[in-house]
Amino acid sequence: MTEALREEGKAATRAAGEEAGREPSWGQAFTAMAMRQLLRFRTAKSRLFNSIVFPLIWLVFFGLGWSAAFNMLGPGARMLFGGLDYLEFLAPGIIVMTVFMAGFGSGLGIIWDREFGYFKEILVSPAPRPALLAGRIFGDTVAAMIQGVAMALLVAVVAGWPGVGGLAAGLAAAFVSALASSALGTLIALSMRSPEGFHIVINLLMMPMLFLSGAFYPIDPLPAWLRALAYANPLYYAVDLARGAMYGVSSTPLVLDAAGLAAVTVASLAAAAAKFSKTYVA
Amino acid sequence: MDAITAEDLRKSYNGFEALRGVSFRVRRGEVYGLLGPNGAGKTTTMGILVTLIRPSGGRALVAGFDVAREPREVRKRIGVVFQEPTIDRDLTAWQNLYIHGMIYGLGRREIEEKARELMELVGLSGALHRPLRSYSGGMIRRFEIARALLTEPQVLFMDEPTVGLDPQARARVWDVIRSLKRLGVTVFLTTHYMEEAEMLCDRVAIIDHGRVIAEGAPEELKARLGGDTVYLRAASRIDAEKLLRIAGVYGEARVAEDGRTVVLVTSDAPSKIPSILGEARAAGIRVVEARYVRPTLNDVFLMLTGRSLRDEEGGWRDWMRLHIHAGRR
Repeated sequence: MTEALREEGKAATRAAGEEAGREPSWGQAFTAMAMRQLLRFRTAKSRLFNSIVFPLIWLVFFGLGWSAAFNMLGPGARMLFGGLDYLEFLAPGIIVMTVFMAGFGSGLGIIWDREFGYFKEILVSPAPRPALLAGRIFGDTVAAMIQGVAMALLVAVVAGWPGVGGLAAGLAAAFVSALASSALGTLIALSMRSPEGFHIVINLLMMPMLFLSGAFYPIDPLPAWLRALAYANPLYYAVDLARGAMYGVSSTPLVLDAAGLAAVTVASLAAAAAKFSKTYVA
Repeated sequence: MDAITAEDLRKSYNGFEALRGVSFRVRRGEVYGLLGPNGAGKTTTMGILVTLIRPSGGRALVAGFDVAREPREVRKRIGVVFQEPTIDRDLTAWQNLYIHGMIYGLGRREIEEKARELMELVGLSGALHRPLRSYSGGMIRRFEIARALLTEPQVLFMDEPTVGLDPQARARVWDVIRSLKRLGVTVFLTTHYMEEAEMLCDRVAIIDHGRVIAEGAPEELKARLGGDTVYLRAASRIDAEKLLRIAGVYGEARVAEDGRTVVLVTSDAPSKIPSILGEARAAGIRVVEARYVRPTLNDVFLMLTGRSLRDEEGGWRDWMRLHIHAGRR
């Protein structure tokens, strides 16, 4: 230990000296946080399992069931779903649901970090807060997409092969959805104090958002007020975009879907960054 | 330039005053302790100094920068070990260190070199690639000290560095802090253990109910009590009376209720006891027992507040403070 001490002495003379302190760059802070989220994801195998199994249950038990039931009505039933088989209609929604749930879980990460103290380690660092937050969201988005890709491959096989181009386009749509939901989940979590509160909000939000997303049924025939709610739901644009990209069927022009989704993402990111920049312990 | 200057720091939570004007200065290279019972305002003070709590009033400079107006400049120059662990348990020590280094602007090679040195300094060389989940409480605390030193901070902050540790783990953390002292690192620590403050700190501020009630080197503070207490037991009451006259020359002396023990309050007892005993022998007085007690910081606290630092309970105010803090966390 004495040798180490002597070695350390040099460092300490500098420590006690006039060192100006370093400037962590935007890129470094972003990379560090993205890396951390991905390292965490690697250690949490159960998360992968969880976010795949739930949507898969929907696809198999809900999708296969209704697909069979609708097909009993004959080809007329397909008119309801823009000419798609129900399983195909459902498939893009399932992919979006996977990344959406995984992305929202990003907020849960913030809650746990606050609970277990790691939040302070980040707050007390001199790195630009927006960079730390963006990196974190990006890392969670990539983690969500790993799950999204796994799901997309599964779904494409079960429901109907959309072609490599269709699959890629669908995944691009899923990526934007993942980003939007991570940002949204993070924004909500930053305003929450307890894990319980976050769970309540998530449950209150997630179910209506999923049902009004057009993932399970088309929203065009809905009463006007419900449709209005759907148009306010970012998930709707995500599902419509993914379906349009994969199978060429959409209710809203794809450009509009993409614009709506981008707007939600940017707004959530900006709000979350602003909130995080002003975060104190007390 | 001082490492830390705190001027009249105030903080209230929903009308409750946690700090009511805390001022002190910490010089470069010293180990400075904020000593006080639970709920006295130590953690709040530290929170302000490390830029995570906004003061309601007053001003603090750390490494020359205002904590409220230039928090990023302060953050670049400090290392912090919080009371509760602030680590990612799912990652290894190395991964935690690497991410820490990156968000402080260090390069990979630099982090690698320093990580090895620092893990050795805190006695964790073999555990660099183990997940922190497998670390004990004491190892985590030492790891956090190493992590805080990674960026060569000008001031190292430690909030209750040994709370919740078993005696052995505590002793190892003390060893680490002592080596930091030898290295000239400025350390600011809070503690409610007076032994810890006495043993480690060059100077301490005693804080109670949001106010600094005394400041100085532990020896200085204890000297204010008038010095050591010497107990000399004579063989008989008559001897005790004679002994009292001799001892009276060295300080304030009286005979205790047993009639045979002379109690003397004096500075620097070890140097005076031999001469008293010498004079006593010359005068033919038989002294059957001689001992002395050094005052502790607890005695200082007792003198200033009428309460003991040792009783953990504290008053209802402390209780309220703790609960308010817990709620605000």
